[in-house]
This record gives sequence, structure tokens and C-alpha cells, in this order.
Amino acid sequence: MDAPAPSVPDRAFTSVRDAGVSSGRRSTAMMGAQTSLSHAVDLDAVSAAWVDGLRASGNAHEECVAALHAVLLRVARHEVARRAGSLQLRGPELEDVAQQATDDALMAIRAKVVGFRGESRFTTWAFKFVMFEVSTKMGRHFWRERRASWDEETWEQLPALVESPETHGEQRELFAALRRAIDHDLTTLQRRVFVAIALNEVPMDAFARDLGVSRNAVYKTLFDARRKLRVSLLAAGYARPYSVSGT
Amino acid sequence: MNGDKDLDAALAAMLSDPGCSAVFEVLHEFVDEQLGGGDPAGSNPGVAAHLLSCAACREDYLGLIEAAEKFGDEEPGAAPE
Repeated sequence: MDAPAPSVPDRAFTSVRDAGVSSGRRSTAMMGAQTSLSHAVDLDAVSAAWVDGLRASGNAHEECVAALHAVLLRVARHEVARRAGSLQLRGPELEDVAQQATDDALMAIRAKVVGFRGESRFTTWAFKFVMFEVSTKMGRHFWRERRASWDEETWEQLPALVESPETHGEQRELFAALRRAIDHDLTTLQRRVFVAIALNEVPMDAFARDLGVSRNAVYKTLFDARRKLRVSLLAAGYARPYSVSGT
Repeated sequence: MNGDKDLDAALAAMLSDPGCSAVFEVLHEFVDEQLGGGDPAGSNPGVAAHLLSCAACREDYLGLIEAAEKFGDEEPGAAPE
């Protein structure tokens, strides 16, 4: 679960893995989450052309908006196609998602361009709004492919995993301890979020839409649930609760 | 969830993780630094930690890497489709 998409070049994820964040080590630098990687710099020529066009008036502005819409639509179509396999969407539905994501991304970009400081290329900054909108729109389609009883269904899978012949002794004990911790240590909301997202791989945006909250709010609940479970498993005697035999 | 590796991912929660909103604010910088041959995970390990723990933001990141590489040089003068 949670593996990078196979179609993405390995190098795209290399620097993240190499940061050592999965090893559990912490340093002073890691404790403070930066909110900016750099200060504003002079815009490159292409970025300046985009920003000038969007801040202009009259025909120059309209032409720039039309050009940006065209680029964003190509990006959205590419991204929708990249993610399509996970939701089994087809041609007209994919195009609909791409068009809606493009329109909403363009609206956000036009509203926020005044605050663009040139920390990256303009296009990279603009494209992230497309990614967000595609993710949000595709989340809407998730539930059509799933039964409404997903959380009960998944909850039933955990005891089956504990009792599976393929689950050996130490693993079985770990899963049993995890099940107890989920049952007893999480709040109702934390349990619902953890079971849905961490166990059943419900997309965060689909779940956020279902709850009527932001992705960030769902993630915060998931994060708190994960911390509680790690503490619970540690207290139950698992020195490395998240991997009894892995590296 | 099928075993140790999946459980490891299911319980990933680094204290340095700033959350989805903070990561979205700097994701474009992270991506451009990576495409420019830099080490964004080294200079901003909190973002890297989040991308390992949050499947939704990781998908956005992977998509943005690909889009920036493929379409990042587009100019406003190009004819709309």
C-alpha cells in the first residue's frame, strides 16, 4: 500500500527516500517544518511572461488566460490519465474531471498570482493547483466503486488476518495487539479514519469529502491515530511496533 | 494490509511532519529544487516525511514532478489547443 505509482520514474522519489525519514531517526533540523524553501527571487523570463500577462489588462490578459487554460488542460488530462487506473474511470468521465479541474485551478491561480513570489517556475507553482483539483475531483468518483459498508467489511478483515495460516506466530501476536489498540485506544473518529485510510486505502480526498472537512483535517486525525497505536504497541512490548521482522 | 511492510506504512507518523496544508504551500519549491538537481528532502525533511506518510500528497507530488518535466517549459505565446 501507499507505493509510488509504477509509471513514475524511480528518481522522482529517490531524494525523499534518501532523506532517511523512514528510518525513524530525528534531528533538530527535522523537528521544524519549514514553510518556505527560499526567499523570493527574480523571475525567469518565461515565468515573468506568464505573471505579466495575468496581471495585465485587456487583450494581453485575455490571451494569457486562454493560453494558460490550454496548458493547464493538457496537464490535467495527463494527470487524470495517470491516475485513471485506480478508479476505473473511462473517456467521457476522465475528460469531465480534467475540464472541471482545469477551470477551478485557473480560478485559484488568477486569485493567487498576486502572491506568487517566484520561489519556483511559474508553471510548477500553477500546476500544483491542477494536481490538487484533480485529486479532489477524482475523490468524488471513489465511492461509486465501493460498497457503502466498507468500514465494517474492513473491520472484519483484521481478525481474519490475525487467524490466517500465512500469519506466523510473532506477526499474529502483533496484529492481535494492533486490533486491541484500535478497539480500545482510538476515538470513534480516529478508528473510522484509520480503518478507512490506513487499512482500506480509501483516498484521503474521498474520505474528506464524505466527512465534509479538508484533507489536512483528515490527515491530522490519521496522524494522531497512528501515534496512539505506536505508543500502545510499544507499551504492549513491541520495541519496533511497526515492523517485527522487516528492516 | 498484508504484513510487516504494510503495517510499517500504516503506522508511519513522524513528529517533523507539518501536515498537508503546509506541504502544499511549498510543494512547487520542493519539486523545482529536485528537478534542478538539488536535495529538497535534505533541506526540508519535514516535507519529505509527510510525502512518505500521506498517500494523497504523495500522488500530488508525483504528478507534479511529471507535469513540471513534461509541460514546465510552456510559454504564454504558445497557441491554445
